[in-house]
Amino acid sequence: MKKVFLAAAAAALSLLIISCGSKKNELHIYNWADYMNPAVIEKFEKEYNCKVVINYFDSNEALYAKLKAGAAGYDILFPTSYMSKLMFEQKMLQPIDHSKLKNLKNIDTGFVQKGLDPEMKYSVPYMMTFTGIAYNTKKVKNFKASWSMFDRADLAGRMTLLNDLREVIGAALKFNGYKYNSTDDKELETAMNTVIKWKKNIAKFDVDEAKRGLSSGEFFLIQVYNGDALQLINENPDLAFATPSEGTTLSQDDFVIPVTAKNTDLAYKFIDFMLDKENSKTNMEFVYYLSPNIPAQKLMSKEFLNDPAINPPKSVLDKSDFLKDLGENNSKYSIIWDKIKSSN
Amino acid sequence: MKRSRFPFYMTIAILVFFYLPIVIVFAQSFNASRFGGTWKGFTFDWYFKLFSDKNIWHAFTNTLIIAFSSTSVSIILGTLSAFALYKYKTKLQITHNILVYLPLVMPDILMGISLLLFFVSLKLELGLFTILLAHITFSISYVAMVVLGRFQDFDYSIFEAALDLGATWWTAVNKIMIPYLMPGIAAGGLLAFTLSLDDFVITFFVSGPGSTTLPLYIYSMMRHGSPSVINALSVIMVLFTFVVVFISKKLLEVKE
Repeated sequence: MKKVFLAAAAAALSLLIISCGSKKNELHIYNWADYMNPAVIEKFEKEYNCKVVINYFDSNEALYAKLKAGAAGYDILFPTSYMSKLMFEQKMLQPIDHSKLKNLKNIDTGFVQKGLDPEMKYSVPYMMTFTGIAYNTKKVKNFKASWSMFDRADLAGRMTLLNDLREVIGAALKFNGYKYNSTDDKELETAMNTVIKWKKNIAKFDVDEAKRGLSSGEFFLIQVYNGDALQLINENPDLAFATPSEGTTLSQDDFVIPVTAKNTDLAYKFIDFMLDKENSKTNMEFVYYLSPNIPAQKLMSKEFLNDPAINPPKSVLDKSDFLKDLGENNSKYSIIWDKIKSSN
Repeated sequence: MKRSRFPFYMTIAILVFFYLPIVIVFAQSFNASRFGGTWKGFTFDWYFKLFSDKNIWHAFTNTLIIAFSSTSVSIILGTLSAFALYKYKTKLQITHNILVYLPLVMPDILMGISLLLFFVSLKLELGLFTILLAHITFSISYVAMVVLGRFQDFDYSIFEAALDLGATWWTAVNKIMIPYLMPGIAAGGLLAFTLSLDDFVITFFVSGPGSTTLPLYIYSMMRHGSPSVINALSVIMVLFTFVVVFISKKLLEVKE
């Protein structure tokens, strides 16, 4: 018996050592699962005669912790923009050399300028995401694309807000005509009172249960990220999504190159390849998110572009903001959030 | 005196707690609805999707390679360690005992981060090999503890009698000690195998490019993937585990 184990162990070890051998023309990307069209990746592999190895992470924070501790060997990462910013500030990312990306001109600069890296110093936008309202068209009468929906007493107990202080207080700020990222005490006070009023109408602050509840008919209206809403609508045709006319939060997932990248050249080639309009189009059709890539967007079908869960109306986009890190003022939000949570 | 029914109800409640979630996952894996809110009809779609996703299979292969090799190595090292703990009662062995025991109570996240820092400082390339080392590290403790339990009832004089009767040390080990310890070794091995199969936290930190394991992939699917495919995968994993446990039980019965 022991001999069998020994043989198995020896075989396994030697196999592992061999498999850790040379990796010349390989690109290692670190992405979310199901977030890139495999057909586009195959096309890249053929065109550049290389192998793309995909690795997966499950949250921005986990990605950060791992790289911060020294894990290396990844050539491209896909963090959300707030995390890209933090990683760049901690010198974990390479500056982007614009001369190596001939397709960078495809990027919608108007959108990027709203973001956290307006000059694309260290990040290139991959996909845009935003927050909005998903609702059941059969149950919600007189729907209005507005944050004021959370005022509706007839929907009391059937609505949910996200369990995220910036998203919720931000929505209330917008509702009152202020801006996300406000640090003005008076404005925040008003927003707090609005959320306290909304709290009487909502069932809870949550996202996962809310999604399940909307799908099963327990909830009628939820504050939700567009990606989640898309999955829900795909399954239940009674559901719909809208971005509030007052404006909403925008975000994006980025391409970034860590300082520890081993194959920087190939990484640039890959990013440039993904920015190509045809490839970007094929990828968008699979991932079902909007990439801020103007020529690629022109190739998309009407149906795709008119989907409010993919592409918010221009009028809403203009009024929407990215959530910015407020530094010392972050505590203002947490104090208000505690008051909201403890209010009756 | 009437016997209390309490233990009976307690047992039923515990069994329900253990197995009801598995039954639900089993049912949901055939549910046409993506989020499992309502029953939308019977489907095999998730299984088709699962079998056609080559990323999942790559991750699954990695997981099996790691689980089998870390189990084999930790069985040997764990048994040796248990033998030392049983045979020698010196000060050094007390320390040894603590060291073996520690990974059982240490939080995963601490172990994951410290192993990662260790590998990075050694300039070891992260990948399947580092995952294997990490898994062996925590598996040894489980095997050692289970085998040590079996050792407690081992009568060392039988072993010495065999030596007196002319058996070489190796023969005595092979014919007396190993057969006696086998149920413990098998149980420890199974424990190590299942722990390695579903470890997420430690694996996440020590994995490197190209070494995604199944638990890593499943967690990552939460954002964009379909929960139903995960259900289908879980059903297959559960069935697989049942089969392994069943076979090992059968094997042990023959031995007894």
